[in-house]
Amino acid sequence: MNLLITNARLATENSPEFTPTDALISGGVIQQTGPGLTAPAGTTVIDAARRILMPGMFDAHVHFREPGFETKETIATGSEAAINGGITGVVMMPNTNPALDNPAVIAAVLASAARHARIPVFTSGCVTKGRAGKELAAIDGMRALGVRMLTDDGDTTHDPAVLFRAMQYANELGMFFASHCEVPELAGPRAINEGVMSYRLGIKGSPACAEEIIIDRDIRLAHAAGAHIHIQHVSSRLGMETIRWWKSRGDVRVTAEVSPHHLLFNEEDIGDYDTHYKMNPPLRTRADNEGLVQGLIDGVFDLIATDHAPHTPFEKSQDFVAAPNGITGLETALVSLYHHFVATGIFGWDLMVKRYAAEPRRLMGIPVPEIAPGHTADLILFDPEGSTTFTPEFMRSKAQNTPFLNQTLKGSIDLVILGSNILKSIF
Amino acid sequence: MARKDLLDITSLDRQEIDRLLDQAAPFKELFTRSVKKVPALKGKSVLMLFYEPSTRTHSSFEVAAKRLSADVTNFDVTQSSITKGESVRETIETLQAMRTDFIIVRHKSSGLPGVIAKLTKAAVVNAGDGAHAHPTQALLDAFTIKEQYPDPTGRKVLIVGDVLHSRVARSTSTILKKLEVEVAYLGPGSLVPKVGPENIRRFTNYDEAMAWQPDFVYLLRVQMERQDVQYFPSLREYHRLYGVTEARLAEIRDRGIYIMHPGPVNRGVELCDAVMDYERSLINDQVENGIAVRMSVLYHLKPESGDS
Repeated sequence: MNLLITNARLATENSPEFTPTDALISGGVIQQTGPGLTAPAGTTVIDAARRILMPGMFDAHVHFREPGFETKETIATGSEAAINGGITGVVMMPNTNPALDNPAVIAAVLASAARHARIPVFTSGCVTKGRAGKELAAIDGMRALGVRMLTDDGDTTHDPAVLFRAMQYANELGMFFASHCEVPELAGPRAINEGVMSYRLGIKGSPACAEEIIIDRDIRLAHAAGAHIHIQHVSSRLGMETIRWWKSRGDVRVTAEVSPHHLLFNEEDIGDYDTHYKMNPPLRTRADNEGLVQGLIDGVFDLIATDHAPHTPFEKSQDFVAAPNGITGLETALVSLYHHFVATGIFGWDLMVKRYAAEPRRLMGIPVPEIAPGHTADLILFDPEGSTTFTPEFMRSKAQNTPFLNQTLKGSIDLVILGSNILKSIF
Repeated sequence: MARKDLLDITSLDRQEIDRLLDQAAPFKELFTRSVKKVPALKGKSVLMLFYEPSTRTHSSFEVAAKRLSADVTNFDVTQSSITKGESVRETIETLQAMRTDFIIVRHKSSGLPGVIAKLTKAAVVNAGDGAHAHPTQALLDAFTIKEQYPDPTGRKVLIVGDVLHSRVARSTSTILKKLEVEVAYLGPGSLVPKVGPENIRRFTNYDEAMAWQPDFVYLLRVQMERQDVQYFPSLREYHRLYGVTEARLAEIRDRGIYIMHPGPVNRGVELCDAVMDYERSLINDQVENGIAVRMSVLYHLKPESGDS
């Protein structure tokens, strides 16, 4: 495949300004960049017409439900959803059935990914067997298959001694920890913030401190163990400030992520028990939204990650208490963040590229794609003048549990290329 | 405007509340006659779907429906396939196929009656969902208050106890605010939400609350069964801090304050025995009014299943 993209505007993580450029791709590798390139014979030319050219995004927090919950999502459908959203790499969470806690299951997942996914699919592994918080999982066995991130996912490793020893052990193997932060006794089973809406709807709420306590606990444990801790999907301003404080000390390896839904929505959106807004950690207040956006701008959050959590329409059509936690995100993340934050001038494309393409890959220790000669083509074209309507027909995920369903937002992802494959194209 | 369901108080406006309450009065008059029945819902079917045990509310609805000449069926949840893991959706589709006109539902999950209402053409009455709403209780409370003060504007109601777990506190305070009655909460710090209740005064001790000069003291049932962890040290302490003790009853009597309680009462917890004989206790009035108000609700709702 020989391809020349002309009239693009290159976005990078280093500058809010675009660079006008063309890009010549051959054999899956970028051959030339710069303005005014000429197409060699036999080259397909795509006129980007001032669309934005940037690396493919990378989502370090997805639930692909395989094995065990394939009615919700599979690696095949999940990875196609990622491509549809301009994402060219993902990290799976281990809350499958069986849980991803040993090399045999990890190998099966990676084999399925090699067969069914058109993008790299990485997987995390459990800290403890069955995510039960008691016995350590087969940590080095999983490492040998490429696992770097250890997490018990939605079940916070409850016993700090277990996590502490796991940190001391796995750190020396070059692995890091990711924490879903929650004191279960305080949070209970309900994914609603303790506040105005929990009172109104009559559901006992989960206070933000249930999350903030573990944010602090796990960073403190990592500090003592000399390990790297990654804090997942922070939902509260005070949680963000806790991370900011630890980062300011400079003596602990801590990274953190924020999810689009925690930036965009708050508890009031639940309205009359809308289960699309039920996730864990729960949506909190408008002040938390503002705090989290500021945390992203200030770099307290290293990366954006969706926590893409597909569920079937039946499951989400149950009452709010019975419906499962989670919201999909892969197909809506880039467009919704553009619509609400970039198009409104709250932050720029440099932040998006840094936080959603570059930093997640750095976290995983994999190369960050560059749009420069000699690099593998891993890029997308985004049309800021375009729009996307998130109809069921548009979605590639098996699930549609998103409040963006049937909404039209500004921006569209028009081209996704990885190596010699055009994964998505409107051209 | 034809209303299909009664799910909460929030969705009722003042006019509709007044209509429901006004309509209840003639039904109540009926109770003094030898024949207590009217043919208003003759030929209509009412299905009782109670996922939570209830004696009082269940019988109150059943009596109300029968006095309107409706046919009442009890869908016995404990005997049904629900205990075998059938989802609510399948149950409702079954009931839909039976062409039921009214479904009276009680469930521990807040918001579930709203899900049911969307799935069925039958009129759905929420008989209590989790800590969310209990609209017919609120209506009967408002009716009972209006029997004492036909214009309750500016009257004061002190709601005492476990607000956190109480759908009664939520619905009754909501209807009272809509009737321009002042509402205050008194209860243990662990059981009265600090964030959420809007325009509801919060007292932290009994004397302060009495100084506010309430016209009604509304005692909530202490629901030990709903508490996943301990919220106060003992029933004894609860009674001492928030219960109507004999000493407090004397003060209440002096001030001419009415006492209400949604029942069933825990003697020695929310109130001492003497309260049951207090001349201004409205607890039995509430029970009687419950039937009249529920008749009014069933009479008012318009199922999509029936002819117009």
